[in-house]
Amino acid sequence: MPRIVVDPVTRIEGHLRVEAQVEGGAIADAWSSGTMFRGIEIILRGRDPREAWIWTQRICGVCTTVHALTSVRAVEDALGIEVPDNARIIRNLIAGTQLVQDHVIHFYHLHALDWVDVTLALKADPGKTSQLAESISTWPKSSRNYFKAVQDRVKKLVDSGQLSLFASGYWGHPAYHLPPEANLLAVAHYIEALEFQREFIRIHSVLGGKNPHLQTYLVGGMASSMDANEPGATINTERITQLRELARSARSFVEQVYVPDVLAVAGFYKDWFGRGEGLGNFLAYGCYPMGSIKDHAKFFLPRGIVLNRDLTQVHPVDPANIAEYVSHSWYEYSGGDAQSKHPFDGETNPKYSGPRPPFQQLDTEKKYSWLKSPRYQDQPMEVGPLARMVVAYASGHQEVRTLVDGVLAKLGAPPAALFSTLGRVAARAIETALMARHLEGWVNELDDRMSHGDVRIHDGRLWDPASWPREARGFGTHEAPRGALGHWIEIEDKAIKNYQAVVPTTWNAGPRDAKGQRGAYEAALLKTPVADGERPLELLRTIHSFDPCLACAVHVADARGNTLAHLQVD
Amino acid sequence: MAGMPVEIVVFGIGNVLHGDDGAGVYALERLKKDLRVGRGVRLVDGGTLGLELLDYARGGSHLLFLDAVDAGQEPGTLVRLRGSRLGALRTKGDVHQLGIADLLGALRLVSRRRRAIVLIGVQPSSTDWGTALTEPVHAALPQMVEAAVEQLERWGQRTRRVVVPQVREGGLRQRVGVRFGD
Repeated sequence: MPRIVVDPVTRIEGHLRVEAQVEGGAIADAWSSGTMFRGIEIILRGRDPREAWIWTQRICGVCTTVHALTSVRAVEDALGIEVPDNARIIRNLIAGTQLVQDHVIHFYHLHALDWVDVTLALKADPGKTSQLAESISTWPKSSRNYFKAVQDRVKKLVDSGQLSLFASGYWGHPAYHLPPEANLLAVAHYIEALEFQREFIRIHSVLGGKNPHLQTYLVGGMASSMDANEPGATINTERITQLRELARSARSFVEQVYVPDVLAVAGFYKDWFGRGEGLGNFLAYGCYPMGSIKDHAKFFLPRGIVLNRDLTQVHPVDPANIAEYVSHSWYEYSGGDAQSKHPFDGETNPKYSGPRPPFQQLDTEKKYSWLKSPRYQDQPMEVGPLARMVVAYASGHQEVRTLVDGVLAKLGAPPAALFSTLGRVAARAIETALMARHLEGWVNELDDRMSHGDVRIHDGRLWDPASWPREARGFGTHEAPRGALGHWIEIEDKAIKNYQAVVPTTWNAGPRDAKGQRGAYEAALLKTPVADGERPLELLRTIHSFDPCLACAVHVADARGNTLAHLQVD
Repeated sequence: MAGMPVEIVVFGIGNVLHGDDGAGVYALERLKKDLRVGRGVRLVDGGTLGLELLDYARGGSHLLFLDAVDAGQEPGTLVRLRGSRLGALRTKGDVHQLGIADLLGALRLVSRRRRAIVLIGVQPSSTDWGTALTEPVHAALPQMVEAAVEQLERWGQRTRRVVVPQVREGGLRQRVGVRFGD
């Protein structure tokens, strides 16, 4: 069979191309190519470090806040600033909220359609769907009439031909195994998840002043105001009540809808515990500081590395061991492409040498991606929810162990089953449940501090560039929904001299390195069965399990081509 | 839609790191300072879209999108697209799953309310990395703003003549940035 080319991979953020060589009905080799150039580093050079976050949050439509947060942390690290506790808690709340919202959207709106056949939902018996719903959860929206109404609504939209969200599925593919009732249940929750996330993300409007593109970040803390009795304050008693209610809504939705749905769907696809295994190396910077940002041991999610699927040992993370190759990327390094460069010495010199579009196939022997190849001690790493849960599990994080063991027991799977496509789906749900449990606690902590008169939220002592050293460099990290995110900044004469971002999807979707070692996607695709080369649903399952985000997002609306005829242009 | 309260939401859509792709956001910034736009009109810097905008869209009876639109015209040409058929609008090569069509699709799933929807677009010249608009698109911004104001008036939003306090800016400053060439 010739190479399968999926370009673009849909239901992701950004632009990804995958080429796979199929032999004997399974993938024998695979290449992942990020096909858009990410030039944020070039844009930031020469700017004021204090405004870097404003630009980095525009990298992507989905990951806005994680880049803003990591950017202010990088500058704070360079200048030696510790933010006040209130700012730390608000940042945790913003990031935790984003993680929950992003994971819910990923499961229902970007990934579920790989497992759920929407067209089969129309054939379901609403009465049986109601029975199924009530057997897996106490969620109140479970009556026969409710599912009948959902079914009618979806049918109307499918008949009108305007359901673009459902347009990209391989409906009728033999790899779909859910009974019609489970499909209808999932479709109903797809719609409920739209509503849930719409309300829940109001936490960002409260804490960020506006949404998307929060405007309350500030090097040294947050630009929010705290005053229990001041109606105009960002955080007052009324807002605390609102935040608490939103946090509780997340916990209910995740515990009663998202997690039961993942368990129900996974039960029909257990063979996917044995597929998409990947590298077996996992990296987590850890995150959600519970005290000083430097006190990694107290992070809510631990920092560490697990190698070769060995859950008995957690290795420490030393950022000095991170380096990027461009051997198979469309860049060139001064000094040659055989070496790797640490982000502090990072260079972004784009040089496209690929084929001129349109083309059939990339020359994967040479350079074939706009992504670099990050490595830790020359080893490729997987990052993301699975990496975080594996590192937490291996570190003995009690709450994570209980949650993971509970889910595995329900599915009758051993811990080794985590290293798989379905393991990533499960890890994401477990992590969401964990986070949703803790959001309210952070709201309470904020409330407690405010009621005791602690309203300090910004440390402005080093705000004035005149107080900075002539040269400084720093490193900020965050565990974004998709994994370990790092920004490296070098400041000289009050301006940005160099800025490098190593984003989660670069770790996961990056190409081979100088030694020919595959990246995480490439490794995970090996041995994935493909029943129909024209409709490689199985390949998409594994790729989507990583939640790709190519962090570039040019999205010019296209009124040309075959869609123009349908538009009224006046 | 006669008799319904008019709740207008204007979305500036685009990525300001990608040259002309940011035109909609810059047009929105100008509308924020335009004294003719009443306080009842909600102005949303939508960036590169996403389901986060669903909450705003749901709250509106009249939705106006300002965006870069590749209509195969001369750079800087304005286009106006309207009606439910905006749902057929594709994002460039489906790069971004959640384009305007997807947002409107999601909106239809969660709400049965009928809405007036219009997109005012400008033909981009370059969407390469860079924080400056190209000359023809920059020159078209005032017309884009005029077209938007005209649309608001068509929807019954009364023109304001009183001086309102300056709206606080979102922190994003347009600067002549590094242009990254082809």
